[in-house]
Amino acid sequence: MNEAILVDRAHASQPIRTRLALTIAGFGTLALLTCVLAPLVGSTQISLARVFDRSIPFEQNVDAQIFFVARLPRVLAGALAGAALAAAGVVFQAMLRNPLATPFTLGVSAGASLGAMLAIIFGVSVSLGPFTSVPLASFIGASLATALVYWLATSPGRAMSTSVLLLAGVTLNSFFSALIMFVQYIADFAQVYRAARWLMGDLDVGGFEPIAAAVPLTAVAFGLFALLPSSLNLLSLGADAAAVRGVDVVRSQRLAFFSASLATSAAVSLAGPIGFIGIVVPHLVRLMVGVDHRIVLPASTLFGAAFLVACDLLARTLLAPVEIPVGVVTAMIGGPFFLWLLVRKG
Amino acid sequence: MAARTKRLIVLAAVLVACGAGSTLQQSAAQQPASQSPRRIVSLVPALTEMLFAIGAGPQVVGVSSYDEFPADVKKLPKVGALLDPDTERILALRPDFVILYGSQSELQAQFARAGIRTFVYRHGGITTVLETIRDLGAATGHQAEAAARVRDVQGRLDAVRARVKGRPRPRVLLVFERQPKTLREVYVSGGRGFLHEMLEIAGGQNVFADVDRESVQPSSETLISRAPDVILEVRAAGLLEEREVAQEQGVWSSLSSIPAVRNKRVHFMVGDYLVVPGPRLAQATEAFAAAIHQGARK
Amino acid sequence: MMSLTAQHISYSHGRPDFALRDVSLSIARQSLTGLLGPNGCGKTTLLKLLAGVLQPDRGEVHLDRRALAGMPRREVARQIAVVPQETHPAFDYTVMEMVLMGRHPHLGAFQLEGPDDLAIARDSLAATGTAHLADRSYMTLSGGEKQRVVIASALAQAPHVLLLDEPTASLDLGYQLEVASLLRRLNRERGVTMVLATHDLNLAASLCDTLVLLQDGRVLAQGPTRDVLTPAMVHQLYGVDADVTFHDRAGHLTVVPVGRR
Repeated sequence: MNEAILVDRAHASQPIRTRLALTIAGFGTLALLTCVLAPLVGSTQISLARVFDRSIPFEQNVDAQIFFVARLPRVLAGALAGAALAAAGVVFQAMLRNPLATPFTLGVSAGASLGAMLAIIFGVSVSLGPFTSVPLASFIGASLATALVYWLATSPGRAMSTSVLLLAGVTLNSFFSALIMFVQYIADFAQVYRAARWLMGDLDVGGFEPIAAAVPLTAVAFGLFALLPSSLNLLSLGADAAAVRGVDVVRSQRLAFFSASLATSAAVSLAGPIGFIGIVVPHLVRLMVGVDHRIVLPASTLFGAAFLVACDLLARTLLAPVEIPVGVVTAMIGGPFFLWLLVRKG
Repeated sequence: MAARTKRLIVLAAVLVACGAGSTLQQSAAQQPASQSPRRIVSLVPALTEMLFAIGAGPQVVGVSSYDEFPADVKKLPKVGALLDPDTERILALRPDFVILYGSQSELQAQFARAGIRTFVYRHGGITTVLETIRDLGAATGHQAEAAARVRDVQGRLDAVRARVKGRPRPRVLLVFERQPKTLREVYVSGGRGFLHEMLEIAGGQNVFADVDRESVQPSSETLISRAPDVILEVRAAGLLEEREVAQEQGVWSSLSSIPAVRNKRVHFMVGDYLVVPGPRLAQATEAFAAAIHQGARK
Repeated sequence: MMSLTAQHISYSHGRPDFALRDVSLSIARQSLTGLLGPNGCGKTTLLKLLAGVLQPDRGEVHLDRRALAGMPRREVARQIAVVPQETHPAFDYTVMEMVLMGRHPHLGAFQLEGPDDLAIARDSLAATGTAHLADRSYMTLSGGEKQRVVIASALAQAPHVLLLDEPTASLDLGYQLEVASLLRRLNRERGVTMVLATHDLNLAASLCDTLVLLQDGRVLAQGPTRDVLTPAMVHQLYGVDADVTFHDRAGHLTVVPVGRR
């Protein structure tokens, strides 16, 4: 049986309404502040006065262009992807009854990576509205993986077994990884490099179009997330325990699965598979607010946004003018974090 | 690698000296086998080009999967490349001389054991390219033609230098790769390597000259703050339709504060001669100069 | 009037060796019924069917003459609660959080617990003697404490029927007696109908007024305990020679196995 990671809390049985309100206020403020302050900082010095100086035509206002075209979309992309990945992490962990599950456990990200690889290596150049080739191919790959896992793990009218889901996810991860390796093998060197680079994550979206593509998808996912929190607590006790307390397990599981997969697909298509957000953020949040999913889900969403924006800030300023891929920064934070958790537990 | 090449040259020179009455003008058939390879396999497209340029084309029996130029290579058997060299196929062609990458050390060892001469590709700037042409000339018994080719290239480069001398040197961004139809994952030439050197000879000032790397992946912010006057986008292939080119050029319009974008100085150039560090780099340099100085005579 | 009835239910889950065949039983309101039988005879499955968590392949389960199959899950959960054999939450919930989860069927889709729900939860904890553990982490409790908390969680559902699967199986003797007396008290003081699946004959004898004996997925016998719990039945069910006698000090029947026959 999975061991939940023990949390030290001195928790008064405060009414949940109060705790929820306080949590949202607190994390919401954090997210807002981070998103407002992040575009002000970067590898280039800009003057806020010049940024908002209307008298300078936009084409000539370098500071304004850096702020509005380079940094702001980047911060928004970070907030979107961070929120989506953190929330998806919480949902998958509840659904799979395992605090170590990540949004990538079920193979969605592997599918997305394969799609992106194929687009890069075959030099595909198409665009569908605001979607350009690589994000589009990546989203298609992710959707394919989602559909495959669903098909493997579902029987009509029955609850999904978490062990079957996990097994399906592991299978898909291996299968797609093998395909990715093969595709890289037959590609030429430059393309392999580009593919490897994509896998490290990149929030520099260069404009608002990629965000325009990702927003409707994440909006749908979040709309579905909003229906989940009360059933997540119960699902994490087990399918029977949830059913016996009045949860429509089949419906809740499918809702959880699709919403989390959609959020993950959108985030990975936008910014590549940025690791550790989906597991570090929920863990940190649980350390702060307890394990009730009705609080953890909104808190993780907000904290995830702030966290990724902060990581990206580090990524683009730490070794300026050289940029560290944001996935590397999250990994460098995630690794030691888990080491610390492990040590603490021992 | 350099030592090995030099050893080959010394060996060739010694054998030439020892061979009674042999001169550099001896035909390949008359030279001892150890000097003049008859069956060459090349895994490096740039060096394949060099072989054909110096007259060793007829000796080439196998090329890499990525070889395109000259047209003759299309008929030749393909034997893989950097990541997937097909050892069996190479050996089946019974080569006596194989050109491969420095990182393919196992392959080198295999060929050494089989008694096959190898020539290792050295990556570098224009000087290295020209040296390689000469080295190949020595290794394949085409020293004279190699020297002539090198003089050609140097001559044309000097001509470009002369033409652009005294002209203002605009700040240039040289983009060689990015995601299609969007400004993501932009790869540009840093302050090192043949692309950078060609750019500088062509009279441009590389905006990333201060970065000591061949390839840089700048963020949108960095692109805006470097503010190049001219943007050169080079591609080996693709982008042949006008509509596509216009679309790709249009992608830059979101960074309108960049002088190159404002003044419509974003130039697309397509052709593998632009990105192969081989004998055609003079042609590429001329193309760069034409684009940078718009209206300069070819 | 019958409270919970199963009418000719059969269930196989695709495995013919693990089947319930044509089981009919009626649980009287406010009764304490024991479901007895060897391991693997289908007790847990029967409990799940009675709770509406599983749907029978054939036959129906009725709650106060209404078919369970037609009732929304939430409504069923307001009437029937289950105390499973084991509860392993994947996350470190507090005792109070575990108990409050029992309020789920009474809350609207987006509703959070209010003061009433908290009061009911506290009351459930008090009833099981675990009020002092409210803020403790569930996972750090002893076996007996955990079991009582799970019972409290089921009580918080304010059910009319409580189904329990081996409630004392993993407990020490002391805790066994504790839980048994708790259940007896709840049944008497709150009138909660209870169905207990167990293989502990003496527990069933001490607690239950009615017994249902299951063998190979079929009902062997059902009726008042003193009528059903006979040496002959024990032998038929377990292949064991046993003495069934009324123990004066304990105040109920006891079963003492003597040998295998």
